[in-house]
Amino acid sequence: MSRREREPGVGPGTDNHRPGYGDDGTESTKSMTGGRYVLSLNERRLLAALAPLGRADASTLGRELGATADAVVQYASLLAQNGGLAVVERSVETSYALTEEGQRYALEGLPERQLLDSFTEKATMAELKNHPLASIGIGWLRRKGWVTIRDGVVEKAGNAPKGEDEQTLTSTILEDGPGLAELLKRGLAVERESVRYTVSITEAGEALARGGLDLREEVGQLTHEMILTGSWRETPLRRYRVDRLPRRLIPGKVHPYQRLLDEMRTILQDMGFVEMGGGLVQSGFWNFDALFQPQDHPAREMQDTFHLEGEAILPPGWERVRAMHEHGGETTSTGWGGTWQEAKARQQVLRTHLTGLSIQYLASHPTPPVKAFAIGRVFRREAIDPTHLPEFEQLEGIVMDEGVTFSHLLGFLREFYRRLGFPQVRFRPGYFPYTEPSVEPEVFVEGLGWVELGGAGVFREEVTAPFGIDHPVLAWGLGASRLAMLRLGLKDLRQLYRSDIDWCRETYIYPGRGGR
Amino acid sequence: MPVITLPYQYLERLVGMDRETIVERLPMFGSDIERREEDHVDVEFFANRPDLFSTEGAARALRGFLGIEQGAVRYETTPSGISFTVDPGLATIRPYLGSAVVRGLSLDEEAIISLMGLQESLHWAVGRGRRKVAIGLHDLGRITPPFRYLASPRNRGFVPLDYDQEMTMEEMLVEHPKGRAYAHLVRDAPRFPLIVDAQDRVLSFPPIINGELTRVSTTTTDVLLDCTGTDRRAVETATTILCVALAEDGGRIESVEIDGVPGPDLGPSFREVSVDECNRLLGLDLDAPTMASLLQRMRFGAEPIGEDRVRVEVPCYRADIMHDWDVFEDVAIAHGYDRFEAVPSKTATIAKERPETRLKMAVREVLCGLGHMETMPFVLTSEGVLFSKMRREPDPRALHVLHPISEEQSVARTSLLPLLMELLEFNRFRELPQRLFAVGEIVTGVETGLGAAAVSCHGTADFSEAYGIADALCRELGLAYTAVESDDPAFIDGRRGALVLNGTTLGVFGEVHPEVLEMFGLEHPVAAVEVDLSRLL
Repeated sequence: MSRREREPGVGPGTDNHRPGYGDDGTESTKSMTGGRYVLSLNERRLLAALAPLGRADASTLGRELGATADAVVQYASLLAQNGGLAVVERSVETSYALTEEGQRYALEGLPERQLLDSFTEKATMAELKNHPLASIGIGWLRRKGWVTIRDGVVEKAGNAPKGEDEQTLTSTILEDGPGLAELLKRGLAVERESVRYTVSITEAGEALARGGLDLREEVGQLTHEMILTGSWRETPLRRYRVDRLPRRLIPGKVHPYQRLLDEMRTILQDMGFVEMGGGLVQSGFWNFDALFQPQDHPAREMQDTFHLEGEAILPPGWERVRAMHEHGGETTSTGWGGTWQEAKARQQVLRTHLTGLSIQYLASHPTPPVKAFAIGRVFRREAIDPTHLPEFEQLEGIVMDEGVTFSHLLGFLREFYRRLGFPQVRFRPGYFPYTEPSVEPEVFVEGLGWVELGGAGVFREEVTAPFGIDHPVLAWGLGASRLAMLRLGLKDLRQLYRSDIDWCRETYIYPGRGGR
Repeated sequence: MPVITLPYQYLERLVGMDRETIVERLPMFGSDIERREEDHVDVEFFANRPDLFSTEGAARALRGFLGIEQGAVRYETTPSGISFTVDPGLATIRPYLGSAVVRGLSLDEEAIISLMGLQESLHWAVGRGRRKVAIGLHDLGRITPPFRYLASPRNRGFVPLDYDQEMTMEEMLVEHPKGRAYAHLVRDAPRFPLIVDAQDRVLSFPPIINGELTRVSTTTTDVLLDCTGTDRRAVETATTILCVALAEDGGRIESVEIDGVPGPDLGPSFREVSVDECNRLLGLDLDAPTMASLLQRMRFGAEPIGEDRVRVEVPCYRADIMHDWDVFEDVAIAHGYDRFEAVPSKTATIAKERPETRLKMAVREVLCGLGHMETMPFVLTSEGVLFSKMRREPDPRALHVLHPISEEQSVARTSLLPLLMELLEFNRFRELPQRLFAVGEIVTGVETGLGAAAVSCHGTADFSEAYGIADALCRELGLAYTAVESDDPAFIDGRRGALVLNGTTLGVFGEVHPEVLEMFGLEHPVAAVEVDLSRLL
């Protein structure tokens, strides 16, 4: 899928199909019922109204269509863009209007006129000042020379004919002139600019209108009613645009890391392996001792392993493990020497690997062939940083069968990694306390070179003998989080467990060849 | 694992081959190349091969692996006439002692640095941080035999290495950097281990620090070695490896009598191994002479005895050879891990997944279908997240780890909902709605169970949504539940329900309490469901 831009503000409730240029937000989609032109119903209605007039003012057309002048201009502009079906002209006109105060005076007379009419021949200044308009009026009375004032007595100075200002004030249309100038100066009138739009039909528009326009109402939703009654046959359905992306829906998804774990599980099941499991809490016995890990191995200490309170019960036959540690039991091994402490074996820990599950599984399934695997969380006492976590997933696989060899182990590893998408695998000697020979598989990763991915080996006889396992056991383990870093391109392992939801949303379920 | 510095010039001289060839072949011998520098390469050898922890030891092995020299090296010892006594009072403190005299050395600065590096690696890998073994090297010319290994009063004083003033051993544990670092190994002992010469001059306070008196320098030609410890085998291993490293440096090894018993014994041990067993382990088809010659490449002595037997001479320094299979691994390395035919075995087996996996997949199907996004939160969390932020009483069955690194990872999760609330908190600036779920292990006491939880956070999340999710989940999992009012304080009273199956509460759902929302810094309502699925397994 090519990534098309979405409109800003895409979110719940936004429907990107709707371009949003209709004045009511719904009447906005285009119809083909205007011939080769794609016209909305509003555009067609405008064209139909315009056709008999030829040319008309937007407000006139608006009244006819029951729309605002602004909407008419919008439709007309679209008609203009759409193959030049109409032309829109814009003109600016100046007009004048009375202010609120001016309108009042137009009815009641200017303040000086009202003042003048309030007395007959003479009045004292004191009497006149009681009039509500005295403060404005007295000045104007004097300025217009309608009165003389002497010793506090106001006397009319003639018949005070109506001035131009008063004539303009009461006229229906405010015409330009000295009277208007006076009113403007006094703030009783203001100048206004009004923009007018005139729409005229073009020849193409006329031709289209002559051919007949479908002016039926369009319907947004195909309804149950319409289907039942068959009215959909006569009902034009509003068209949607496909050049805009829809609202982004996020499906419920399995976590990207879980998908990787499921992939590994599927691979092993495809290869005939049975899934095994077990608790997160294990005894030191199963986690370490049964695997011939010496009791003073640093990995067992408090610094590296999460220890827990309480004591585990040792399984029957644990003494054979003790004998193996101390002197090699009945094998050719020397054992580790020293004294094996039962108390250490009883200590409980959060499992540090899944190999403890493998040996338990073998102890309870000693008959060949056994091919088993586990995928699960393990714990190491590490401080959290981008590449270290105190818990992570591990994969563990074992094969126990008559006549299986180290070569077969390498074969299983090669096959497993190949299926996981790493065709180039190489093997280097390794060391683990419970396997001999031991091997560290490496896969080739473009840009990184050879990357160590897991560890493997054949279980030592010291591990298998105490549990009566008579055939070789091929075993391998793999840190799945390391694989996740490679496969999901992660720089910070915390993303797996404290996921940024946007990362989950953006990580595709099947990033196939069409890719992003 | 110890990182060993191999100076190129010295290595090339000892191995007799150019650095490029050596570095190219090193990984196939069993090591990780840590980094390459102008004049040296740092490599990591495995902890079970302390004999490789010096340039001399690595060169000895590489000469074999690269086909320059074959078979075992024999190291001779002659009696030095020097003796040591061990105080029986050390039996419960640090009882074991290994010693040797090495004469005729001419050590340059580089050799001394290399020797100190070997010592440190051995302290780590064999000595387990000096507890099992601690090593001391002394300039023999400055001291007078016989020597005594004592359990000394703790307040005895001497001048420790790198100091010019005498201080008591107790003071050293507080003031000397090495004293502070290793004080825990002796602090509780009633007396301290001490090595003195015939004139009662102090050589060493093992496992803490040597005396300044016997400092080894470039003028030192004769060395006295002491290895003390709590594990006889580890003491022997360290002694042996140091002796052969010094022998490779041109020293003559002389034995020392400890309480009348001469040591060290640098003679090899012998094993007779089966060619057939080796072939069956490795999946090869070697004959006895081929197997013998491969072992010689790995610096074993080896001779075929008939068709199926090889007599193997194991050099004293190969402490890792515990079992015949350890020998066979060396056969495999010499054969070349890259030369094995890697083919899986052919036995037909039938795969099977765990019921738990099927159940998890079912939960995922339902919740994804309802539009929820899966998350995989940590198992380890805090009481704060699990209980107090959820307004819940601490569960006495919650599993606490004994030495958490931080409070934030100190308890195993008893349920998943609090972890989802925390994830909503991490994502509180992300677009809504946010519908999350998790399915995975929950821990009660030491028992691992299976839980699932789902949250929905948006402007109109409410009880009905939570009930709807709970109902759908239970229905799809075939759980004929009844819902009753819940008293879970994490939810709003009157907007919460409990899922009950056969009289047992299986889970809870409802509108999350606004106080919980506040504590997780959330500004929109959350509809939530959580169920314990353990009983379904």
